[in-house]
Amino acid sequence: MDEQKSIKLKCFRFDPNVDKEPYYKTYEIPLNGAMSVQDCLLFIRDNLDSSLSFFVNCRLGFCRRCLVKVNGKSCLACLTEVNEDFTVDPILKDKVIKDLWSEGF
Amino acid sequence: MEINKKECDRILTTDLLIVGSEGAGGHAAIEASKSGIDILIVTKGKIGQCGASQMAGVDFNVDGRSAKDLGFEGDERDSPELFFETLVRESIYLGNQMMVEKYVEYAPKAMKDLLDWGMRIYSYESAHTEEMARGIITAGTLWVAAIRKKVKELDIPLLEDCMVVDLLISNERIAGVIAVDLKSGETLLIRCKAIILATGGWHGAYSFNTGPYDLTGDGVAMAYHAGLEVTSMEMVQFCPMTLVWPPKDKGSIILYIICEVDPFGQVMHLLNKHGERFMENYDPNNLEQSTKEIVSIASQIEIEEGRGGPHGGIYFSLKHARKRFIDMIIKVANHRIQNEYKDTRYELTKLLPELLEQLKTDDIEVGNAAHYMSGGIKVNERTETAIKGIYAAGECSGGLWGAVRVASACTEASVQGKIAGEIAPEYVKNVNLAEVDQTQVDEILERINKPFNRSIGIIPSELLSRIYNISDKKLGLIKDGESLKEAIDDLDDMISTDLEKLYVPYTKSKILNSDWIRCIELRNILTCLQLSAHSSLLRQESRGEFYRKDHTHTNNDIWLKTINIKKVDGKPEIRYETPEITTISLPKGKLTYQEAIGVATASLKRER
Repeated sequence: MDEQKSIKLKCFRFDPNVDKEPYYKTYEIPLNGAMSVQDCLLFIRDNLDSSLSFFVNCRLGFCRRCLVKVNGKSCLACLTEVNEDFTVDPILKDKVIKDLWSEGF
Repeated sequence: MEINKKECDRILTTDLLIVGSEGAGGHAAIEASKSGIDILIVTKGKIGQCGASQMAGVDFNVDGRSAKDLGFEGDERDSPELFFETLVRESIYLGNQMMVEKYVEYAPKAMKDLLDWGMRIYSYESAHTEEMARGIITAGTLWVAAIRKKVKELDIPLLEDCMVVDLLISNERIAGVIAVDLKSGETLLIRCKAIILATGGWHGAYSFNTGPYDLTGDGVAMAYHAGLEVTSMEMVQFCPMTLVWPPKDKGSIILYIICEVDPFGQVMHLLNKHGERFMENYDPNNLEQSTKEIVSIASQIEIEEGRGGPHGGIYFSLKHARKRFIDMIIKVANHRIQNEYKDTRYELTKLLPELLEQLKTDDIEVGNAAHYMSGGIKVNERTETAIKGIYAAGECSGGLWGAVRVASACTEASVQGKIAGEIAPEYVKNVNLAEVDQTQVDEILERINKPFNRSIGIIPSELLSRIYNISDKKLGLIKDGESLKEAIDDLDDMISTDLEKLYVPYTKSKILNSDWIRCIELRNILTCLQLSAHSSLLRQESRGEFYRKDHTHTNNDIWLKTINIKKVDGKPEIRYETPEITTISLPKGKLTYQEAIGVATASLKRER
């Protein structure tokens, strides 16, 4: 069996229709094999909190729409592997439609 | 927000609405723009960045002689007639020969379009291990980039991140659609004189698939609910050697693709968990070089009989090969990918070298993933459906491939997109807009808004995981009557009960509300699976992509017919149909599955 380990994902949340200002919510993700940032976000959506908005489509770097900031650095969520606690932000914080999805992307 | 209001937020009007923007839809739009009619493309993602086209390997097919006329090296021994004959035979005679003729005829025309639009080509070679060289190799990303550039150049109006949820039919004509803007959550009424559906497959019905997230059978389900016939829904192609692990790369078919390249495919072994080269028990002469269908079925039998790995796959192995050989493969592959092709795709530039390094010491677990939906909306060779003004092109259509999708699906998308783009404007010029039936609009809006009005029930992710439990276990590669009956009962129950209990938790806001969109998609996924389950139970034989362990023969005497399904009084009604024949008469007799595949694929190279 693969070794089970958990990591913490600190996630930017903001719904401009509801929230006065953005906030961060932390989720615990069980790491099960090599996982990408997107795998973690999908785990949240499918198991913890389906209200989280983010972009997912091809999962293998073709569409290049899942740009986010991981620990402050721009990257594609689907191609960025994570092994330890991390923070995820939208690519453009001042143009957020909801959560991790910015206008223009 | 008033959830129940029965008006759409926006109303738009166009002559020709095209649903889908990529290989089929984008091509259709560019072709149709020549006619001067109003066109609107509605796409679920962004043009050039959605659907399955971008992910394609990719090879286009053109017969060797026509390829020469297009400026490629070509193959003088080949002809359109030979290509046609190969396609009919290899799809085990179930394909509509009128459609196959059009495929062969339009393949060079569609390819010329793509070349004119600036699609860069990597090479020209034999693909699918065919005797004749009929493959024009490029990248899916280059294909969709060429289409995107041309659509932008022509300034064709485009609604992106917008999902069409249902068709509006008035007096047996298309009147328009209801759509949802995914970002704003607004509902749209789009009136049109004609529509081309180019919505792709329904990969989202399977937990293990090779497609993108946006393919949820929207076009097929909408067409079925609008009263159109669907055909060959039992024909689902599973791709062997797809990565099952780790999660990050699950669904990648890069090892399958590299096996098509000499000499890699001839060296690799497939092993079960005991380290046995199990193909020795299924096809001792050809082993891993057997046909894709037989390799898939053999792998699946090993997995289902408990000889698979911990993640539900079997093992792809190169441990027997010399490390120097693997280093040579890495060197050659890197040279081709980086220097010759200048390819930047992750799967080729990063994942493949990593996997090859790993294969020096470890085996890699691979399995059969839902890959291509050969069935779909029933169309004729002109891409016309039975309802005036509705056309379907690409993977969402059905009828071309018979029992095996034997050649390029990219060519299918281009060819049918081009044909639909030629034909639909002719129709548009002779009709006015049909009146929209407000009752239909009301019903659709009420249905899609219902999940917001419930505060308890089933959340979409829960229903989806229950669906996977059925699709993976009972509608996978190897089917049997008992499981199919159970699947039909389970799916009927989900459609009549669970679908009506779906609710959107957390928020009533429609902005980027993936739970809400998933509620709409789940109806489409369930519709496609239900249609596939019905067809699968009816087809009491095995043929090509379709395998039943309780009916392992290919029976030409009874089953050289397609299974078509139409919704009548809310229930599926079946119609059997003998494939359209032009020049090749249908064979007779009952063959074993292996014999039938062997006859069909006699022309494949199997050099060892």
